[in-house]
Amino acid sequence: MITASLLLLAGLLVAVLVTGLVLRPRGASTFEFYLAGRRVGVVTNACAICGDYFSAASFLGVAAAVYASGLDGVWYATGFAAGFVPVLLFIAAPLRRFGEFSIPDFLGRRLASDRVRLVAVTVVQLVILSYLVPQAVGSGLTWELLVGEGILGLTPYATGVVVSTVAITALVVVGGMRGTTWTQAAQFLLLLAVFVWLAIVVTSSGFSYPGSVAELTDQPLTKPVQEDGQWRLGSEPNRLDGGEPAYFGHPGGRYGPLGQITLIITLIMGTAGLPHIMNRYFTSPTGTAARMTTVWVLGLAGLFYALAVLLGTAARALIPDAVAGRPWLEGITVDGVLRVPEHAPLVLGRIFGGEAGLAVVAIGALVAVLSTIAGLLLASAASWGHDVYERHINPGATQRQAVWAGRAAVMVVAVLSAGLALGLRPHSLTALFPSIVATMVTWAFALAGSALAPVFILAIWWRGTTARGAVAGMGVGALTAVGMLVAAPFVGSWGLGEVLLTPTIVAAPLAAAVTVLVSRRSDPPADLERLWLRLHGTAADRHAARLARLTIGVGRAGKRR
Amino acid sequence: MDSSGARPVWFDPDERGQWVPDAGDEYDAPADVDATFRTVRRVAVGHFLVFLGVVVAVPILTLTVAWWSDGRLIGGMTPSFVMAAAGLYVFFFVLAVAAATLSNAVEDRMLGDPERDTPGQDEEPP
Repeated sequence: MITASLLLLAGLLVAVLVTGLVLRPRGASTFEFYLAGRRVGVVTNACAICGDYFSAASFLGVAAAVYASGLDGVWYATGFAAGFVPVLLFIAAPLRRFGEFSIPDFLGRRLASDRVRLVAVTVVQLVILSYLVPQAVGSGLTWELLVGEGILGLTPYATGVVVSTVAITALVVVGGMRGTTWTQAAQFLLLLAVFVWLAIVVTSSGFSYPGSVAELTDQPLTKPVQEDGQWRLGSEPNRLDGGEPAYFGHPGGRYGPLGQITLIITLIMGTAGLPHIMNRYFTSPTGTAARMTTVWVLGLAGLFYALAVLLGTAARALIPDAVAGRPWLEGITVDGVLRVPEHAPLVLGRIFGGEAGLAVVAIGALVAVLSTIAGLLLASAASWGHDVYERHINPGATQRQAVWAGRAAVMVVAVLSAGLALGLRPHSLTALFPSIVATMVTWAFALAGSALAPVFILAIWWRGTTARGAVAGMGVGALTAVGMLVAAPFVGSWGLGEVLLTPTIVAAPLAAAVTVLVSRRSDPPADLERLWLRLHGTAADRHAARLARLTIGVGRAGKRR
Repeated sequence: MDSSGARPVWFDPDERGQWVPDAGDEYDAPADVDATFRTVRRVAVGHFLVFLGVVVAVPILTLTVAWWSDGRLIGGMTPSFVMAAAGLYVFFFVLAVAAATLSNAVEDRMLGDPERDTPGQDEEPP
């Protein structure tokens, strides 16, 4: 098992590095390194965005949340997918038409302020770090289950964290946006293929999706709890109906009356502020292409999450009966219920595909982690290398120096996130949060949706937005979100605690209100009209389309000759 | 990678890595852009309100309509589960296609000069 897994892993890592080398940026230019020359087509970019977005939280976390909480867990998937609707409606096309390198760059240029750029860099780095750490945790958990042994004296968990961080850092440093785009697109297709395969083998084994939901809903939901070193099954209380147990197909397994809405708002707004996702729109050739890319993303996301929900349900239904005759399951379950919900898709893979099946699903999980880490590292590099180094530290930097500054930033951020992931012990946190990976990612969404998204949307759609307003809005949004998240453990996870854990419903309107109020007392940029034409005009799009038609026409004429 | 085939020309006016698009001889009049902006904003806000209404309606129905959580639709699944597990994804996609198609059509009609590509338009009038 270990040999097969290691061989598969080695093959994957080598393929990633070779792709990075083959598709490395042409010439030392930040335009190529960060934006892939702005020539990424609609379908390629949609697949790359999916690879970027579908992290361990999606691949392992959504199925885990459904496994642990039933219907309430489904809302994670709904929120993740729903986030792209506002991106399509309000952001994708104008953001691309304005055409910068990153969110801080966009805000700094749109509002003509270096201060805005620096505040945005701070928030972006906080979002990236809180998104990176759970990815590294996911890679550690996956290695633990896939290989089960560490190297160089490290624990299996630490080995997973270190190996994934080193491999993907090498890809980003070498391949830049071009190499990363292609590997992310291929990685997404691999993830989708793994889910489709798993859904096919599970369904063909006789699993009835609707029937299982009905059966699971007949019995109260249970979860493993550890008391005095002993594991036992405890019941999951219904948060909508105190004193009653929760059921798989009914609401209340995870959220009280406010919980679903606050989670959805947090995930929807958060998507619009995620730096690694928004940066991908800058690589589209036109604003219209960016818009159509989002349509593709929504289609692909719907398919992916519908499969994730099915697999979470299948795991809950099938694993109890599978324990008999499979001693390896006894060690990770309590009376047929997994101790770590994130293991659900992996265990399904092993049940239906043996060691090879486990290896395939685990590789998928690692791929999800690697592709998201790659996007986050690139976004971080764009922020440090372009927004800080090129703009403030060394404005006279050559393109070569600027690219190397970005590469150095990638390495520093990677080491920091791996260090934080190694300091965490996810098993001890599982009792606190049913799905730790998805929960930690929610924190990143909360910060992005509270601090960045409101200012971002206002800057695109309201002429009156000013630099002072944006700084105040981002500051208030970030401080409110962090303050509420920090206060949450002291309040508990019920009632008010639900709002504190998913604070965007409070923090985002507050940030927007502060932005508007302060903006009304200050002046917008002097050349607002020119900025507005660039943001909402389509002249550059039409020019690009005309050039493309000419190129195609010339190509066809050449072939005819 | 260049699956769209579009290769816009970008230039760096102050040679500080600040690449901006070159619109060539294409031009948008400020009044046209403003009118288009307002129309696209109406499209976006309208679709967003529909989106928000449906997304918020699901948990609200859960709290207020017993059949939504207890009824049986497909082989034992509740309406609430069917909607969350599949229905909403279909709705998001349909909404996205509608909004993108309408926004693209608005921009195509209100900005640019469709006559430009018509043969003979650059000729002097008789």
